[in-house]
Amino acid sequence: MILDLMIWSPVIVGLILLLIGKNTASLSYWISLATSLLVFGMSMYALSMFKTDQVGIQFELIAPWIERFNINYHLGIDGISFPLILLTTFITPIVLLTARTSNKINLHQYLASFLILEGLMIGVFSALDAFLFYVFWEAMLIPMFIIIGIWGGENRVYATIKFFLYTFLGSVFMLIAIIYLYISTGSYSIFDFYNLDLSRMEQILIFLAFLFAFAVKIPMWPVHTWLPDAHVEAPTGGSVILAAILLKMGGYGLLRFSLPITPAASNELSMLMVALSLIAIIYIGMVALSQTDMKKLIAYSSVAHMGFVTLGIFVVFLNHENASIDNMNIAISGAMIQMISHGLISGALFLCIGVMYDRIHSREINDYGGVALSMPRFAGLMVFFALSNAALPGTSGFVGEVLVILASLKVNFWIALLSSTTLVIGAAYTLWMIKRVIFGPITNEKINNVRDTSPVEFIPLIILAFMVLAMGVYPEPLMKLMYITLNDLSELVFTGVGL
Amino acid sequence: MTFNIIGSILPEVTIAIAICIVILVNSLVRNASVTLIHSLVLFFLSFALFLSFVSLELPDSNIFEGHYVIDAFGTNLKIIALIAAIFVHLTSIKSKQNIKNEIFLIQLFATLGVMILCSAHNLLTVYLGLETLTLSMYGIVASNRNSIEATESAMKFFILGAIASAIFLYGVSILYGVTGTLSLDLIENSKLLDSLEMRIAVAFMACGIIFKFGAFPFHSWVPDSYQGSNTTAAIYISSVPKIGAFALIARLFLDSLNAISDFWSILILSAGLLSIIIGNMIALVQVNLRRMLAYSAIGHIGFVLLSFSIVNPNGVSASMTYLIMYLIMTIAVFALIESIASEDHQHIELGDLKGLSKSHPLIAFMLLFCMFSMVGIPPFIGFYAKWIVLSELVNNDMIWFALIGVTMSVIAAYYYLRVVWFMYFENNDQDIENKGVINTQSITSIMISAMLLLIGLYPSPVIDYTRRIISSFLLID
Repeated sequence: MILDLMIWSPVIVGLILLLIGKNTASLSYWISLATSLLVFGMSMYALSMFKTDQVGIQFELIAPWIERFNINYHLGIDGISFPLILLTTFITPIVLLTARTSNKINLHQYLASFLILEGLMIGVFSALDAFLFYVFWEAMLIPMFIIIGIWGGENRVYATIKFFLYTFLGSVFMLIAIIYLYISTGSYSIFDFYNLDLSRMEQILIFLAFLFAFAVKIPMWPVHTWLPDAHVEAPTGGSVILAAILLKMGGYGLLRFSLPITPAASNELSMLMVALSLIAIIYIGMVALSQTDMKKLIAYSSVAHMGFVTLGIFVVFLNHENASIDNMNIAISGAMIQMISHGLISGALFLCIGVMYDRIHSREINDYGGVALSMPRFAGLMVFFALSNAALPGTSGFVGEVLVILASLKVNFWIALLSSTTLVIGAAYTLWMIKRVIFGPITNEKINNVRDTSPVEFIPLIILAFMVLAMGVYPEPLMKLMYITLNDLSELVFTGVGL
Repeated sequence: MTFNIIGSILPEVTIAIAICIVILVNSLVRNASVTLIHSLVLFFLSFALFLSFVSLELPDSNIFEGHYVIDAFGTNLKIIALIAAIFVHLTSIKSKQNIKNEIFLIQLFATLGVMILCSAHNLLTVYLGLETLTLSMYGIVASNRNSIEATESAMKFFILGAIASAIFLYGVSILYGVTGTLSLDLIENSKLLDSLEMRIAVAFMACGIIFKFGAFPFHSWVPDSYQGSNTTAAIYISSVPKIGAFALIARLFLDSLNAISDFWSILILSAGLLSIIIGNMIALVQVNLRRMLAYSAIGHIGFVLLSFSIVNPNGVSASMTYLIMYLIMTIAVFALIESIASEDHQHIELGDLKGLSKSHPLIAFMLLFCMFSMVGIPPFIGFYAKWIVLSELVNNDMIWFALIGVTMSVIAAYYYLRVVWFMYFENNDQDIENKGVINTQSITSIMISAMLLLIGLYPSPVIDYTRRIISSFLLID
């Protein structure tokens, strides 16, 4: 019931705003903010009711939908989906709060799109019926397409169509795989898929079909090219949601579908996955070094950071002698924490860039310099987030990466070594950007005259900084939230692989 | 008894009476007002719909010595056709275009043809219905008399259509030569079904049917007649006649010629597959909206045929589900286009959509629904249509065709998205004031488009309905 409310209340409020919100910018701003806060409140209530010591699905809800095909409206959350839902309900109010900092046409449509998007994203994370999952997964493309297309930058049409076609192409193969699984089991329930006895070839093909959908979303090298375009052209709020939540759906999909449904194929293709992850971490990190556009730089750094997620999910299979459930737990908790932490940090960085863009109207690093002199409060926060992006110990970015590196170390020294180069490369590209943008003398006349952050810009950043720090210093509550589910998943996968 | 026979065909009789009355009113009442004609047509269509619902209760029967059959399948198709005709009619009320009254008359004729096709059970009656429909369609396309393009496209359509009808008739005559009967009942008992002559006959008849569907390789009339005629005509020819073609293919191929389904399913399959590919590919480069929709219609019909070629009840009911959802989408999208077209501005190019989200926000929003529905994005009905066809394809070991289908859907997404792009992402140079658009036509179009979402949220009734119809149809015979 509470999941129902969390999904549908923002969607319905969003649709109403779309239809009657014209010329009521201020009112619709407050209404949408209130709705998203309400949803956040509901998620907090759910958190208080969530039993961390219980295996399996909680808040389950099931009702028949399309009976002829045995499709149910089946919702529920566990330790994998719940943290991501919390992230969604936490980021959305922040995005809506900052919606008015820059002048936007048709503000009510902008707000409505984000509300609808929020509902659909919660739907993706809580759907336990593969068909329902696909409906949410695809429906989500519509508001995102509109957000980038209407409120984006100069090249927005190119970017948004590229984004749409890439993700759509990836997902249709997933649809075929889901249909195939339905025909094998006679049900669309994800948990019925887990018990399926698939042949080796079937597993590999299904794994690849799912992988195509998730790899585009994550995004993994070499299907990442839509991301820099989409990030650069999207409005600040769009970039934040894109980086913070949309990318996480790919990782979530790997944990929810690929690992448990096709464990043998995950095992067999783990070399490929690890190789792609390492390419993302190292090569894309290098690419980020050479960017001159701040948003593009953060976009590439997102690809590199998401490489840790895929690395964490698949690295354990590489070495069967040292493979243990404990190590798997460490690796996938690392992946999960990396996802949450990247959601917070990259979201915050995009907000920071948005703050600067609203003042100077440029994303080029060369147009900046000496921001610290005119915006000291802001500069402090930006430096903090940049350091967390470079995985400074004590911030959340460190926890996820170190867990994944730890797990890889037990698997293979060289993989651990290669992946830990990110600590150097990541520090290089973020700090170099900070040096050129925040510090140094003021080179651009405009920077002299800008005012420091307003409360509406400052408060979200402070909250995010607090979260990043809290997770970095004391990640235990989050680990505890996920532990039982991840342990259960590891056992399932290990049985499936036959370890 | 005569009365019973008349009683079974009351819906058709009603339409026939309507035709007579409209002719009389048009010629006797000087300057008959459009409103009068509209009300008459609407009344009779609704009355016929009501009668069709009543005749669902009738027991199955063969009348006119087996030339005509009354069964649940035919009656349900008639109901769908009548509902579609009513919607088409509603959308053309108070059209800003210069529409002559006779177009509504010709539409009634065409509807009658479709209804005859739905029940025809003898190749003679089939041909009767087919020609009633086809000849009316020429008239509909040509109804925009002052336009050179409309005349040209009607002429092309007429020549191609005449050839297609002749080929169909030729197939029928070969079939008669082989089996010695024209009755659909008796054909299936013939011992010579698996002969070469029979295959030639089937191939010829398939050409005629594919032409009626407007699928590859007999699709070239579709874009011309969509573009050349006015939108009122385009809505009609894109929707109602497809139901007649579906009835024909179901009764003739699926039912009577089931014994050689191996042969004709390959023909239908290749026509369907190539329609999907060719239709979507050519649509990519179109700039005229109606022409683009024509090619997209070819692609959609390809899915209908592809699914039909599975031949089993599930495949055919998926095909029918796709057809119904396609009808809703196509009527919705044309109705929306019609409500933004003006009298002097018939050729809607993509560029004319610039800034539509500002000048007509609601229409633009609904057009956005239609476009995403046609791409196949949930929760709009177009997704369920594609999904149900894909399910049946995968279920019948035709996974490669399913993969081609989805790949083409992704390619198709580009040109549908282009419409959204022009409406929402481009700004018009001059400022357009927000025009009030509250009239019957726009209300209808918005209502139908809202159905795209509402049915999409709960598609079970449509899926169950088609399944019931098809299984009842296949069980009877």
